[in-house]
This record gives sequence, C-alpha cells and structure tokens, in this order.
Amino acid sequence: MISAMIKKEFLLVLRDKKALALLFVMPAIFILIISVAMRDVFTGNSVSFNVSLKNLDGSAISKELSSNILKNRSFHQVAYDKAQIVITIPKNYVKKKRKLNIEIKDTLKSDEIELFKAKLLKDIVSLKLKIIKNRLMEFSDEAAMALDTVSLDSANLFDIKYNKNNDIPNSTQQSVPSWIVFGMFFMITPIATVFINERKQNTLSRLSSMNVSAYAMTLSKIVPYLVIAQIQAWIMIGVGMYIVPLFDTPALAINGSVLALIFLSFSLSVSVVGLAMLIAVNANTTEQASTIGGILSILLGAIGGVMVPKFIMPHSMQLLANISPMSWGLDGFLDIFLKGGDIVMVLNESLMLLLFGAIALGISIVILKYKIKQGFE
Amino acid sequence: MVKVSNVVKKYGDLIALDHLSFEIQKGIIFGLLGVNGAGKSTILSVLNGLSPIESGEIEVFGLDIKKDIEKIRQISSIIPQNLAFYDKLSVQENLDFFGKIQNATKENYTKAIEINGLKEVLKQRASTLSGGQKRRLNIAIGLLNDPKIIYFDEPTVGIDTKSRNEILKSIKSYKDFGTTVVYTSHYLNEIEFICDEVAILSHGKLVTQEKVSEAGNLEKQFLELTGNQDD
Repeated sequence: MISAMIKKEFLLVLRDKKALALLFVMPAIFILIISVAMRDVFTGNSVSFNVSLKNLDGSAISKELSSNILKNRSFHQVAYDKAQIVITIPKNYVKKKRKLNIEIKDTLKSDEIELFKAKLLKDIVSLKLKIIKNRLMEFSDEAAMALDTVSLDSANLFDIKYNKNNDIPNSTQQSVPSWIVFGMFFMITPIATVFINERKQNTLSRLSSMNVSAYAMTLSKIVPYLVIAQIQAWIMIGVGMYIVPLFDTPALAINGSVLALIFLSFSLSVSVVGLAMLIAVNANTTEQASTIGGILSILLGAIGGVMVPKFIMPHSMQLLANISPMSWGLDGFLDIFLKGGDIVMVLNESLMLLLFGAIALGISIVILKYKIKQGFE
Repeated sequence: MVKVSNVVKKYGDLIALDHLSFEIQKGIIFGLLGVNGAGKSTILSVLNGLSPIESGEIEVFGLDIKKDIEKIRQISSIIPQNLAFYDKLSVQENLDFFGKIQNATKENYTKAIEINGLKEVLKQRASTLSGGQKRRLNIAIGLLNDPKIIYFDEPTVGIDTKSRNEILKSIKSYKDFGTTVVYTSHYLNEIEFICDEVAILSHGKLVTQEKVSEAGNLEKQFLELTGNQDD
C-alpha cells in the first residue's frame, strides 16, 4: 500500500511543472545570479576607487608620486566627472612642502575613506623612503641599504592565522548553501498544495474510507520529498561546481566529507517536510498554505543568514539567527564546504534539524489523526 | 443488512441527524430521498465511519460500526459526490493506485472498467475526461474492493442526460451481483427508476420508508411530507 502511495506522490509532483520550476530551476538561477553578482564583495576585490589625478607640480618627485598612484591597483584613473575621489598634487608640492589635496566626490563610508587614506599613505611613504635612501647614499651606502629592510607590505610584516570560525566564504560558497537551504523550503508549497487539494476533493476522505491511516498518509508524503530534496541539493551543488565557474566566478569546492553532506541534507529535508506537513494539515486552502509557507520561509531565511550572511550581521542578530532551522542547515553546509567538515562536525546541526522535523511530523500526525476521526469536518 | 438505530449527529449546534432509525435489506437498491441539507450525505459518511456520531447504534452486515469499522470498510464502498481521484494521473494510474490500496484482484479491476465503460480511456489523463467519464471513473474506483454494499452520494450531479442514464443503468446492474446499493438523490425520477425501497429524510429525521412499487405517487408524497421546499 505504501509503495503505491509513494509512487502516486512522485507522479503528482513530477507532472506539476510549476512545482518543478520552483524546486529546481529557481534556486539554480538564484545561485548563478547571486554568485556572479556578489563575486567581488566576497573576495574583497571591490576595494578599489575611481580616482582622477591632477599633477600641478612639475618636479621629478611629484611625477614619480603620480606614477606610483597610477600603478596602485586600488586606484583606477578615470575622468574627473566619473571620479569618486580627486587627488591633486598642488603646484610647489615639493618645493614648499605642500599637502596633497583630496576631494571626495562620492558618498563613501568612513571605513572606505580610511582604507583609501591607508592606500595613498603607502604610496607616499614608499616614495619618501626612496628619497631618504637616495640622500643617505650620498653619505653611506650601508646606511642607505638598511632602508631596504623596511617593508610596507603587510604580508612581509606579519603572518595571520585565522580562527576557523572566522573563515569567510567566497560568493559561491555562500550562495550555494544558502539556496540549497532556501530552495528546499520551497517544497512547503507543493507538499501543502497536493495535500490540501486531496482534502478538498475528498480524496483523503476516500483513502480514509479504504482504511489508509494517518501514518501511511504522512509517510507517503515524506519519502518522495526526501528523495526530491536530495536531488535538488545535488543539482545546486553541481551548479556551484560546474556552471558558476563558466562566469568567471569561483567554483564550489567540497572540502569536507561527502557523507556528512548527504547526512546534513537528509536532516534538512526531514525538517522541511515536517514543517510542510504541519502547515498542510492546519491550512484550510492552498492560498493560505502558500502564504504561510512563503512568509515563514522568508522570515526564517532572513533571520537564518540566507539573505544576509551571518558573518556580517551584528552579534545580537547572529545570536537570533540560531533559532532558525535554515541557520542550522547553512552553518552545517559552510562547515563542510569551507572548513572541510565531517559528520562529527555537522552532528549538532543535523541532530537539531532531525529533532525539529520529528517534532513537526509528530504534531502533524496527531492533528491529522484527529481530523480523520472528525471526518475532515 | 444495515441497521441504523436512534442515530444523532451534530455539526456544532446544528443537528444533522436527529434520532434517525431505519433498516436496509440485503441485495436491494435503497434510495435516500431529501432536499439539500436533509442529512443524506451525512448518513452515508456515518455509515462508512468517516464521521463520528453523538449517539445511537449502527450495524452493517452484523458488524458494529464502533468496534469493527476496519472490517466494515473492507466490505463497503462510498462513492463521494465530489470527484475524489487524481486529475494529474491517467485513468489507469488512478485505478492502479486505488486498486493497490484495497488489494483489488485482477477480476475486480476488469469488472470495474467494463461496467463503467472506461476501457477506451484508460491511458487518458483524468483531467481530460468528459463530465460523465469522470463520474464513471469515480464510481469505478469504488468497485475495486468488490463491496457487498455501495453508498452512492448523488452520483449524477452535473452531468448530461445520456451519461446519467448510463450511470443509472450500471448501478441497477449491481443488484445482479448481489450487491446492496444505498443511493442518495434529490431527483424523484432517479429513485423511482432504480430503487426498490425509499426513505424520505427531512431535517435529519426519517419522514417515511416504503417500497417504491407500493409508494403510489412518490412526488406528491415527497412534497407533502417535506413541505414546499424546492430541490
């Protein structure tokens, strides 16, 4: 009996083109768009400024400074009207020891301005060191050579060892797990729609008159959607690994255990199916289920770090994120993709997801049994 | 034999069945006649254990509805007024699915298809069937467990005259297999055409129960007994 019900459920979802688009096409497109669009934000390549440089001083030193600024990869020379920042080397800059004139035309954040200042300062200090070195060479080669040991490159000055928890994902590593998690929650709509339609058309009542229990009805929903969720997750991973790199964006790498990935995505799908069933047995109409499912997904996604990455959230919001099952799933995926996590590493998240799903399914079965007993009145 | 004794069923404050009692003999076609809201669909749900009752006793072929509901469901079948099957599945897939749920034999499966004239449309998606074909599929699903008793809840609602006559003829033929049929309708001519016995319900109460052949002018009786309620 169960196998017939599972087969029926598969056929219904496979023939629902809208559901298939919702479950597979939409998350895949989102992964592609978000990964490409956010590429520079996550890799830090966006730390560059459009500058317009004017040199009103004819000295060799000011010419060298101009050249250094133009060579700096953080500055892009553009026309005055397109510049975020205008740098002017004033007349008599060297002779009268004048300051550079900086005009900030664009609205920049204070940390961006500080970053610009640091980059420019590095160019100026490098040049001044070179001038000092040349002067020193007139007196002592040895003293002048000592200045070569002075480096302004942070990589030569300090080694940074990052705490694993501070690892920041690239755009693909962030968007693939986010959309696996969020995309899986899209299943709420087709699960609830099929279930409510069955109830409205008296099919559930008919099945009930054929001695089909609430357990069998629930189990027949769980199994196909667990399988669909796994297919969905692996398609999203495939998009991250093979499609996203075609757009000059970092490919997704599974640094951790594949077994852990399967375990985590299974646990996540249990929680999603549980929530979907809970909504399905309580909603009266498909519209109601879609609205509740949609709002819940968006809220859990917003809180859980799907829309805004958790690492850029304030501490209080990061704590709040922990109440969302999407956050548990996302943390687990990031552990696997980013930190080379294994089953032990994602055990907490997976168990929480399984527990959430089991509780939701348990409540759904109790409500469904009650409704069957009352004849879906 | 079906025995309904003093059954009360409420929906909130509304009394749907008010101390209802009647008996149905084995192998007959029994009509339940009444206007909308008389309690016809409710009694069918109750007889199949789909709707709980407040009080009263029900016995179906010697089985107590409170104790033996699973056994009762194995020997009975309800054909709901709504089309309770899956639009996205073909006729064959629907019959396969409901057949497997009820452990239908190949013989029952073939019989359900033949009686309802579905052989030509087996591969067709249920959503593309005509109104009459959909009704027949709805009925065929109910025959898959070879029931001893079938409850029809207004199976001819919303279909054309030709399909209606075909369905009525096929229902009449179930008697030949020894099946007991309970048929609800608010169409007098249908009851007169297929039923052996009729019970008229009004506001959840039994107004009268008699053999159709002895009922005389059923329409007159129906209007007199139920008042001037239109159908």
